[in-house]
Amino acid sequence: MNWSRFVAAVLVIAVVVALVAVRFRPDEPSAATDAAIGPEAADRAATDAATGPEPGATRSITGGEEASTAAIAPTTAPEVGPEAPPVLDGKPELTGLDGWLQSDATGLASFDGQVRIVHFWTFGCYNCKNTLPHLQDLYAEHHDDGLEIIGVHAPEFDYEADVDNIAAAAVDLGVTWPIALDTEKVNFRAWQGRRRFWPRTYVLDQEGRVRFDHIGEGAYDELAATVQYLLANGA
Amino acid sequence: MSIPGLLAEGFESALLACSLILLVPGAAVGLTARAAAVPAILSFAVGVLALSWLRFADRGGDFPPLLVAAGLMVATILLLVPLISRLDLAAIPAGLLAGGAAAELWLPCVGPDFGQLLNELPDRGASGLGLLALYLFGTLSPLVALAALHHLTPDWVLERLEPIWAVVGGTLLALLAVATAAGLHDDLVGKLFQWSAA
Repeated sequence: MNWSRFVAAVLVIAVVVALVAVRFRPDEPSAATDAAIGPEAADRAATDAATGPEPGATRSITGGEEASTAAIAPTTAPEVGPEAPPVLDGKPELTGLDGWLQSDATGLASFDGQVRIVHFWTFGCYNCKNTLPHLQDLYAEHHDDGLEIIGVHAPEFDYEADVDNIAAAAVDLGVTWPIALDTEKVNFRAWQGRRRFWPRTYVLDQEGRVRFDHIGEGAYDELAATVQYLLANGA
Repeated sequence: MSIPGLLAEGFESALLACSLILLVPGAAVGLTARAAAVPAILSFAVGVLALSWLRFADRGGDFPPLLVAAGLMVATILLLVPLISRLDLAAIPAGLLAGGAAAELWLPCVGPDFGQLLNELPDRGASGLGLLALYLFGTLSPLVALAALHHLTPDWVLERLEPIWAVVGGTLLALLAVATAAGLHDDLVGKLFQWSAA
């Protein structure tokens, strides 16, 4: 047998085995199934359109936006211990939004005085969905203490930009906090610069300064510690 | 950050819609390059690595969409029009250009290990580039399989299929270039994803 063909065959087999292994990894949600939420959400949206949204799905859409300049995002996640989380660069705003779901907010200023988690996500993103249970735990624990989460929905594909699909996905995924519709990804670009990713999580203190910035899944303990520090000690 | 975890996340990302913007043009380059599929795909991977590292390490990149579209179009022309007499030599700049363009369009979904790498990437030197290459090996693994499959295909089959592949791949690359120039590349890839999911 030709050696180069043998190597090619081994490569093909190795790639297929690796992809099947990660696809069917135990105790992990199925990436391929999760990734298909778009068409499923579209089906649910069609049902909602005919029968109305499910109970608990607030569908108020407001078109407010804040007219101020968005800041360039910081780039480093702070390590949070007993000391105050550092103040990172920038004091960003949300501009050019297409409206809000589950809130009558007009911008970040609507939540002044609160500790805010600003979570950039899109409902078709597998890794974004993995962060949601951690955010839900924090929200349940600290919302009454002054924590607000703002989910900035920045879609990748056109089906993710459909408001009905977003609302259906929010119900499906248990996202109960305000959702800012960043359909044109104005804020996604302005906050993150050329380092743009899903998901990305910021914490703003009561004065609107960035105190935490993390790319991707993970750093949940640091996120919780930042929120708890700010709620306990103020900005 | 664990190295095996990073590699596993790379492979996992190959199955996610976020990576289609890399895999679709990569596959198109491989098909259009016909007999030069292997060097074309290898060059594509190098282009992806270089530009994504520049962007994610905050050292450069982020070119205007028209320039990215031009890169895709030039890659298409290099592979379809015999400006360079040897296809395997034309495949290298074409792969680099298309890979760089794809990396410019790529907005990754990020798991915990890749996230940790990205958080640290601006402060890492060559080790960051190496770790990004490791992640991308997983993400681009379907293209490695495509190149290997091409090598395994008997010559008499290739002779019949390659003209068709060149038309399909070239059309896809050209369409992506036009969609990028119009700011609609996400829509094009999204439609491909929806069709494949359906």
